[in-house]
Amino acid sequence: MATKILVAVKQVTALDEDFEIRADGRDVDADFFLRDLNEWDDFSLEEAVKIKEAGGEVEVVVVTVGPEEADESLRKCLAKGADRAIRIWDEAMEGSDSQAIARVLAAAVQQQNPDLVFAGVQSSDHSFASTGIALAGLLNWPHAAVVNQFEFSPGATQAVIRRELEGGVLQMMSIDLPAVLSIQLGINTPRYASLRTIKQAAAKPIEQVGLSDLGLSATDVGEAGSASRVRRMYIPEKGRAEMIEGSLAEQAAKLAAIIKEFKGASA
Amino acid sequence: MARDPKHDILFEPIQIGPKTLRNRFYQVPHCIGAGSDRPGFQAAHRSVKAEGGWAGINTEYCSIHPESDDTHRLSARLWDDGDVHNLRAMCDEVHRYGALAGVELWYGGAHSPNMESRSTPRGPSQYASEFETMTYCKEMDLNDIKQVQGYYVEAALRARDAGFDIVYVYGAHSYLPLQFLSPFYNKRTDHYGGSLENRARFWLETLEQVGRAVGKDCAIATRFAVDSLYGTSGIEAEVDGVKFAKLADPLVDVWDIDVGDIAEWGEDAGPSRFYLQGHQVPWTKFIKQVVKKPVLGVGRFTDPEKMVEIVTKGYADIIGAARPSIADPFLPKKIEEGRYDDIRVCIGCNVCISRWEIGGPPMICTQNATAGEEFRRGWHPEKFKKKGSQDSVLVIGAGPSGGECSRVLMERGYTVHLYDTAAKIGGHINELALLPGLGEWGYHRDYRETQITKLAKKNKECQVALGQKPMTATDALAYGADRIVIATGSSWNTDGTNCLSHDPIPGADASRDDQLTPEQVILGKKKIGKRVVIVNADTYFMAPSIAEKLAAAGHEVTLVTGVHLANYMHFTLEYPNMMRRLHELHVNVLEHEFCSKIEPGRMQAYNIWGDGSKRTYRGPGKPPRDENQSHHWIEFDSLILVTGRHSHDSLHRELHAKTGEWEKNGVKAVYLIGDAEAPRLIADATFSGHRLAREIEEANPQLPLPYKREVAKWGVAHVAGTSAALEYKV
Repeated sequence: MATKILVAVKQVTALDEDFEIRADGRDVDADFFLRDLNEWDDFSLEEAVKIKEAGGEVEVVVVTVGPEEADESLRKCLAKGADRAIRIWDEAMEGSDSQAIARVLAAAVQQQNPDLVFAGVQSSDHSFASTGIALAGLLNWPHAAVVNQFEFSPGATQAVIRRELEGGVLQMMSIDLPAVLSIQLGINTPRYASLRTIKQAAAKPIEQVGLSDLGLSATDVGEAGSASRVRRMYIPEKGRAEMIEGSLAEQAAKLAAIIKEFKGASA
Repeated sequence: MARDPKHDILFEPIQIGPKTLRNRFYQVPHCIGAGSDRPGFQAAHRSVKAEGGWAGINTEYCSIHPESDDTHRLSARLWDDGDVHNLRAMCDEVHRYGALAGVELWYGGAHSPNMESRSTPRGPSQYASEFETMTYCKEMDLNDIKQVQGYYVEAALRARDAGFDIVYVYGAHSYLPLQFLSPFYNKRTDHYGGSLENRARFWLETLEQVGRAVGKDCAIATRFAVDSLYGTSGIEAEVDGVKFAKLADPLVDVWDIDVGDIAEWGEDAGPSRFYLQGHQVPWTKFIKQVVKKPVLGVGRFTDPEKMVEIVTKGYADIIGAARPSIADPFLPKKIEEGRYDDIRVCIGCNVCISRWEIGGPPMICTQNATAGEEFRRGWHPEKFKKKGSQDSVLVIGAGPSGGECSRVLMERGYTVHLYDTAAKIGGHINELALLPGLGEWGYHRDYRETQITKLAKKNKECQVALGQKPMTATDALAYGADRIVIATGSSWNTDGTNCLSHDPIPGADASRDDQLTPEQVILGKKKIGKRVVIVNADTYFMAPSIAEKLAAAGHEVTLVTGVHLANYMHFTLEYPNMMRRLHELHVNVLEHEFCSKIEPGRMQAYNIWGDGSKRTYRGPGKPPRDENQSHHWIEFDSLILVTGRHSHDSLHRELHAKTGEWEKNGVKAVYLIGDAEAPRLIADATFSGHRLAREIEEANPQLPLPYKREVAKWGVAHVAGTSAALEYKV
């Protein structure tokens, strides 16, 4: 039987040089977003594709939770060697935290029944580093975080992994399958897609899955299904620096004046 | 983005006589190879800078009379109405963008060889020029002085009629007014020689007469080299420099100051190899302290922080620039719009200057491939025609040509995949920038790296794949690109093949431990022994750079050179200090010597002129000259081969061997650019990539489109109303 690897990916947002906060103050205005595949996901996809290319019957399926524009990132994964792509979305999923996303992914995992699930250690935009592990918890599967080396033969019931710990310590461990792993940057050198595979990927279908397809309801996702909510997003006030020039006496006088001004005393 | 408020001071207008400069950015007079004979080139190159935000734009030096004729080099001229007509085009175009147009009125004295006009140059005393050593001037009598001053006045009136706003009396670079001022030239004993007041008299009178003639309509400028850098033999900034500035201040509207002379004018237009931004300030700063009129000065200023410092510290009021304005005609606009990382920073290589020094070819720029191409090819430095097809392009090689080609294709909206084995964009610039003094050449790479990264972010279909395995012809065909550009560069010969013999040198082999190519020296992976011999057949910077690097690191360096060592560095003005550097590092240069064979630990040298001066026909199979008997052995621990370069064109050849497979792979065309086509200057490699990107929709983009030529047309007189017919005066 073929080994199936599900790679959970995210289309992240980066900010343009100038940007504005949304009117409700809870996120950046989407007009200023530059979207791209999460950097960590490039590495987890590459790791899955490498296993496939090493031989044996392996299917690599990428899955994301996101609106239509996330197709662009899925196509990038298809161009780099994923066999299939699934995009899960329902407007009710807007505002989901990492736990709610994990709930959606868990439902998809149960349908797809893979042997391995790869997730990035974290996403570059929100940096919670929790979706992969929350997913393992919901599935009640073995899991390992921050994996930077992976050895596995398709069909085996175990994999050997290496993890990065604090202080430069490495940990080698074996893990029973099925398992969820969160993959660290640098585990491999992600490939670039060629123009040919990009063109081929553009013609491939992307499976679209909705809430009811997964047996979920609107209360399982979005803010209703989340354990946390964003209250406010803002740009902190910048500090000011001023070079005080002149003779020592002049510098001292200037400094005293500034201190007085900040204290609110009269000069 | 808006500009940083701390740069606001650079955008304050300033009054110069009857005119106002809209900001503090000023293109000082500099040569381009246009003069008055290529008015389209002149008008387009200058006006694109006006569009880019410069407030004042000048011609190059502009001769006032046939008696000051710099042929073989190319100046502008205001000799007659034909010149007025042609230069008016520049004024009109510059005015369209709200800038002032200036002209630098020039009389060269003994420095102008008058090879076209065959006139006799006049000077304060008689001497042979230290620049044009075969040219002597006639010592002026008082009548001569009046006559030459009259030439200035007549040329100033023509300048005004052409539409110029700023009229210079040019006294920098040791031209006539400074020849009177400097005791180095002026040996007179009458009231035009001797005391400072006497030596200043010619310049002051000329300023007064020109001011009287056109001062109501035009700002009067003077360019003054405030220190000849000869010590007491010439002008010293704090002595005659400030004294003259005080005397002349009432007669000028704006001061344009620099340092040095003409014979070594690299001390003014300092190459980055030896001089940093603002290198003249220790001399020029004294002038602003004694004059009331605005002061402008140059110093290869590209950094707005440094420019602000120049103004706020009171060194100058206006930022003069020649080279930075060539590398980026839109420098002021980019600062104004806060687009700091879009600035194409001058690398200070002086290849622009080299063309004037060679004697007239159009100026080129290493950074800005559009410099000089504005009129004749219709290339705008910042604007591009939208793409002409949906074709995708694979560019293999991210060096100067591949990087530039990709950048321009991306600007045009094409989907480009740029591919390289190196981990960084830049190709061989990444190596060159590690040579002594060449760090700033890395700006060429930095500009392309920044722009390509930005453009690839904007168009996600573009991709920059670095650190990749070498691409084979099969890979390239299968890649899925409609068009493939090969920009795989070149490298130094490992077998000694050179321009003198067109063959390898017996025994040359850089795969050996004791022989190296320049790249191997730079990369530093091979051990280099104490005694180094460099075998040179290249006339630019590589041999002296390697010699400098190794001698400075403690090696004993002998440089055996079969060609004029560093000859092109005369043209880039790097030669004098390069020679001083080799001298102070005790590099032993063996001129007129080349290498006949190499054995372990020793190389055989011979004098290239050792085959006798007599040429005789001796029958087939027998050389017409004697056997060269000058051979001798030189021992080495390491030998460096700076003999020649060769293209990396194997991928291109392989692809052309598979033309039958192009169609089924969807490949429409394969092009070859840059050093991979033929090794060349970085400027020319950059140009070749730029050109292909501009012309990629043409029928055969591998070959350049014709450009608009500006040449005299038979039957049309230069001066309207005069005859263009062949007429003998008999």
